[in-house]
Amino acid sequence: MASSSERLKVIRGHLWPHSSSNGDVSSRIRQENSNIVFAECKGDSPKKLTVDESPSSIPKRRQELLKWNGWGYKDSKFIINKHGQVEFTGERYKISGKMMPALRDWMLSNVGVSLEQKSPAQPELTAANIPSPTVNESFVEEVKKLGLTYSEEPHDRLFRAHGHTLHEVFILREGTFKRIPDAVIWPSCHSDCVKIVQLACNYDVVLIPYGGGTSVSSALECPPEENRMIISVDTSQMTRILWIDQQNLLAHCECGIIGQDLERRLEEKGFCTGHEPDSMEFSTIGGWVATRASGMKKNIYGNIEDLVVHIKTVTPRGVVERSCQVPRLSSGPDIHHFILGSEGTLGIVTEVTLKIRPVPPCKKYGSIVFPDFKNGVACLNEVARQRVAPASIRLMDNEQFQFGHALKPEASSIFTSFMEGLKKLYITKIKGFDLHEISVATLLFEGTREEVALQEKRVYEIASKFGGIPGGEENGERGYMLTFVIAYLRDLGFDYFVVAESFETSVPWDRVLDLCRNTKDRIVRECKERGVQFTPYATCRVTQTYDAGACVYFYFGFNYRGLANPVQVYEEIETCAREEILANGGSISHHHGVGKLRKKFLQRTVSEPGVGMLRAVKHYLDPQNIFGNGNLMIE
Amino acid sequence: MSKTEEQSINSWINKDEPKYVSSQSHYKDGFEDILDERRHSSDIKYCIRKRRDVPKYKYCIPREPDDIKRHVLSSDRVQYVIEKLASEKVATLDELRIQSEEILNEMAHKLSVKAVRCFAYLLIKVLKSLFSGIYVNEPGIQMLHKLIHEYPVVLMPTHRSYMDFLLVSYIFYNYDLSLPVIAAAMDFKNMKFFGWLLRSCGAFYIRRSFGSDQLYWAIFTEYVQTQLRNGDSPVEFFVEGTRSRTAKSYTPKIGMLSAAIESYFKAELPDLMIVPISISYDRILEEKLYAYELLGIPKPKESTSGLLKARSILDEDFGSVHLYVCDPISIRDMAVGKVDRVLHALEPRYINNLTDREQMVTKELAYKIVLVQQQHLVISPWSLIAAVLMQSREGISQWQLLKEVEWLKQQVYNLGGYVDWPGNAKVETVIEHYLSLHTNIISLDNTEKIELKLVRPTHIAKPVHDEVMLNAATNLILGSYRNQVLHIFIRVGLVALAVNSCADDTMTMDELFNKYSFLETVLSRDFVFMPGETNKSFEHAVLELSHTGGLVVENDIVQVKKSITKHTTFFSQMFEPFLVGYWVLCHHLLSLPVDVHGRPLPKKPKAIAIDAQKLAIRLLQENVLKHYEVLSLDLLGNGLNALVELGAMYKDKRNEEPWLSPNRVLVSDIAEKIAQYVEVPPVAVTSVLAVSKRIVLTAKL
Repeated sequence: MASSSERLKVIRGHLWPHSSSNGDVSSRIRQENSNIVFAECKGDSPKKLTVDESPSSIPKRRQELLKWNGWGYKDSKFIINKHGQVEFTGERYKISGKMMPALRDWMLSNVGVSLEQKSPAQPELTAANIPSPTVNESFVEEVKKLGLTYSEEPHDRLFRAHGHTLHEVFILREGTFKRIPDAVIWPSCHSDCVKIVQLACNYDVVLIPYGGGTSVSSALECPPEENRMIISVDTSQMTRILWIDQQNLLAHCECGIIGQDLERRLEEKGFCTGHEPDSMEFSTIGGWVATRASGMKKNIYGNIEDLVVHIKTVTPRGVVERSCQVPRLSSGPDIHHFILGSEGTLGIVTEVTLKIRPVPPCKKYGSIVFPDFKNGVACLNEVARQRVAPASIRLMDNEQFQFGHALKPEASSIFTSFMEGLKKLYITKIKGFDLHEISVATLLFEGTREEVALQEKRVYEIASKFGGIPGGEENGERGYMLTFVIAYLRDLGFDYFVVAESFETSVPWDRVLDLCRNTKDRIVRECKERGVQFTPYATCRVTQTYDAGACVYFYFGFNYRGLANPVQVYEEIETCAREEILANGGSISHHHGVGKLRKKFLQRTVSEPGVGMLRAVKHYLDPQNIFGNGNLMIE
Repeated sequence: MSKTEEQSINSWINKDEPKYVSSQSHYKDGFEDILDERRHSSDIKYCIRKRRDVPKYKYCIPREPDDIKRHVLSSDRVQYVIEKLASEKVATLDELRIQSEEILNEMAHKLSVKAVRCFAYLLIKVLKSLFSGIYVNEPGIQMLHKLIHEYPVVLMPTHRSYMDFLLVSYIFYNYDLSLPVIAAAMDFKNMKFFGWLLRSCGAFYIRRSFGSDQLYWAIFTEYVQTQLRNGDSPVEFFVEGTRSRTAKSYTPKIGMLSAAIESYFKAELPDLMIVPISISYDRILEEKLYAYELLGIPKPKESTSGLLKARSILDEDFGSVHLYVCDPISIRDMAVGKVDRVLHALEPRYINNLTDREQMVTKELAYKIVLVQQQHLVISPWSLIAAVLMQSREGISQWQLLKEVEWLKQQVYNLGGYVDWPGNAKVETVIEHYLSLHTNIISLDNTEKIELKLVRPTHIAKPVHDEVMLNAATNLILGSYRNQVLHIFIRVGLVALAVNSCADDTMTMDELFNKYSFLETVLSRDFVFMPGETNKSFEHAVLELSHTGGLVVENDIVQVKKSITKHTTFFSQMFEPFLVGYWVLCHHLLSLPVDVHGRPLPKKPKAIAIDAQKLAIRLLQENVLKHYEVLSLDLLGNGLNALVELGAMYKDKRNEEPWLSPNRVLVSDIAEKIAQYVEVPPVAVTSVLAVSKRIVLTAKL
């Protein structure tokens, strides 16, 4: 984007609350209503510090910036270049424009990829392939009267028809969805949402709130049997930080602000929320609340439920919110907890007040090499027991360590490759570690310089009791990078007959090892039984530690050459894997949520009356099932 | 001419002669004789050779026996029980800790490859002198090589002889498989030297009964489970609990199995593979000991000197052994859809609590193991001979025997049994060979007739002179070989019994099923039936019997007259002794004097069996009874247990032991029912009228 147009946009943003780039909606209507809209949307308290509005990093026409059938930015992707090497394009990331010499061989030997066997995606769908919308004329008329940005464009609708589960992306590459939203509306403030919900109730229209679109639980998919008009409510234009309260350390934000913008803009004022889920490039505050998100640095800042102080939600029954903004209260069951994790079934989360912290002066990566995974888990357990976990501590199993290794860009100088060789020699020859057994913990420390130094000392001390030796900052940093790029890598896999997915769980400490081993074993066995020709790739890492247990994250992929129905096979195996996880004392999900993908496990997880409680709330707040995305408890 | 010969399409065949039989039977029908090689190369070299590619469970972290012990003592499970018992003031913490260490020292094995090598040397010599061949199914061994790497393995051989676990260990040594650790009875522990030797070869010792001893149970469970979890070695134990004295399968014991698979239910293992192993002997080493033990003449205590004294058996020929490693049973597959492991998510896993459904699955599994074992037993031709001889108490001519054995062999094949019948050998030769192996009970003096010989016990101080007892011993030995085919015939046998005893011309299938089902319940202690599958096995048996021409069913009606065939007659007679035995037992129970409460004083089951045996002896002496087998305490005990199962006995618990007394109405009812199926002595002893509950004495005992 040219900087001049950006400046223009900012200026327009000051003049005009809807930083509208869509001229299509009748501007006349808009002008007529503008005064009211402006006044209603202002809704801030003068005492508090306001933050300059800046436009969202995500445009209304998302498909212009983001891939329509894969993960992330259009300019960033793994390719196999003319030298037959894997390269990451673009310039957004640290590895952008770099080649990863080991990655190709890793793919050839670990997932049975053959460079000659390609499975390219279908060409971009045209309007001809996308069914025309079911339109509720009177509803649309009313919406237009209100001057809301509204679109029935096929690609706008298709883009909001899905999240990023394997199933959904595979459909984009190979077929079409049975049902997609019939229109998209971009509200620009809380009161827009109130009106939209009101209209939807009046005209019996389904609303599916849409934030960053990074769901991995099929939560965004439209129920195919839905006959009413389905509106995707895209919150991407509700991106204001309405105020920052420096004394109480709070920031009041609109729901559509995405993670990276939020942190960037808070940082300008010297603050941060510290909430960094792996999807923070694209996911929004509203989405975090609606899915009970968890951030990488939860050890310092907490998960989303620890971070929110106030939530405003528009439901068909009205606006649900607390009257006060207090650190804690005892007022019966916490209404926030009905909203947290409601997955768009109860209403639209419009505004959230989050805790903020001053930006820490010191940030440092680190890593520890353990002789094996077992020792690593024991060490993390001890770190949790002593409550000295740094901002983030993660433990990769051997397969993932090797994978991370394969992602190493080519050495920039002979000196670095020499040093790498020395390190390897030290670990294998002097410490006697087996490269096929070792596991690596990656660490991220935050705080003052002294705090970080102290934390480092304590963590490395504990690690040494479990045979762990420090493995350097660079390894640590690369470990975190892996989680950001792996989603991109899946798209490369798709091109070579590889389907892959991630799933996660939480589990008590005493069962961590068994759960990891048994789940991997189950995956391999189920693949074999279903005629998968190549050894599947199954790997896990412990990504969060708690007093009582840990979060375990799995990657699983296999080469489906020779199989007619890879997605079905994949889904069956994932179901088996989840059953194994539950049998091992793990949970339905730690932070991905339930959506439609894991609905079948919900009742077993929360008991029958438990589901009944959820249904009762749903029934009271939304008797018409306006928020009818079919997630969670919705039958 | 020579040219055409060269062009023969069969030119790749070396010996183009269908009647050719290899003189050296190293391989036969999937089995490989592992003694063969030992007869042709150095034993010492063999014992010190390097064991290559010994498979290990892929997640195993190598441990020494002492590490395992240390782990058990510090385990959550044992600590939890110690603290619990201490809080219940059973003993102090220190006492309990010392106690645990003692228990563990008594229990733990000290598996060491060095000791195994020494023992192997000794064992080869013994095996070579005892057996003419040890045949192992080689594909099963290859399967084990892969399996041990993938999953923790439990080996469950049939148990007919002390040789069983020695053989399994020896075979594992021979094929470079990781040596199993074996749950052995305490008897061996006290043997000098041998107790130690077996311990070093992987035996760990388990007390016979430790029902409510929580500490012992915890230590034992953890000891077994930790070795499965880490996959240190395959764990071996016997689902029948003890050596079968009757050479037919005992009903399975659940305790040890449930301790092993608890680990799977608690998701400590990805899966657990149970490998049943069927071991079949042409001749069982302990045949005579068993016979006298069954009669109630006590067995000698296991001792090293006893063992040395028994070395005279080294001069005898015990034929060959077949060992079949069956396909593994995956607990995961067994439990799929039947148990919900999630139920254990809310408690620490070291607390002992299996759900009812898990116990059900364990029970089903135990039965399945026995049935799989039976399926793969190799039937020795001698068993067929024994089955025929058992029905010819007066002796039988060689010619007749030959004809009958041929017929019976065909029936075994029809019912899916595997007979170790050498290809192309003449029937006479085979029969002669096997008769010569068993000259201790068979007399070949009379060229006309083959008769039984009386066997005198050698191991007891007081010689037995009683003719009845001597006859019984011989019959029990012979019976034990016939027993080895009974598992094949039991289901069709029950159908045959029902048909044979029918007084009417026709019978409906429902009637037949009711009778079958009654017989199955009554015989469920002597024979192994899959619980809950009566219907299935009944239908299967009816099909088998009608397809072989033994049963005639027209329009779903059994034609009784047409169905009284050689098949049904022979098969019913096979099972007659068991029913007669139960009948005697019932009548003993009915003859017990009644105390003030209107029922006989309770007694221990053993005492009841012994008293019933006394009645049987009298009936035999009076010649009203002809089946000597009825004297078997095992048979009488099983009958008693079946009565308990049928609810015909009142049960008391005294000193942790059950005490029984009969429900006279039910027992008399059952006795009457049994009498419908078999010929019983004309002495109708007592009958209890169910309606009036008046006891009518018709004869005095």
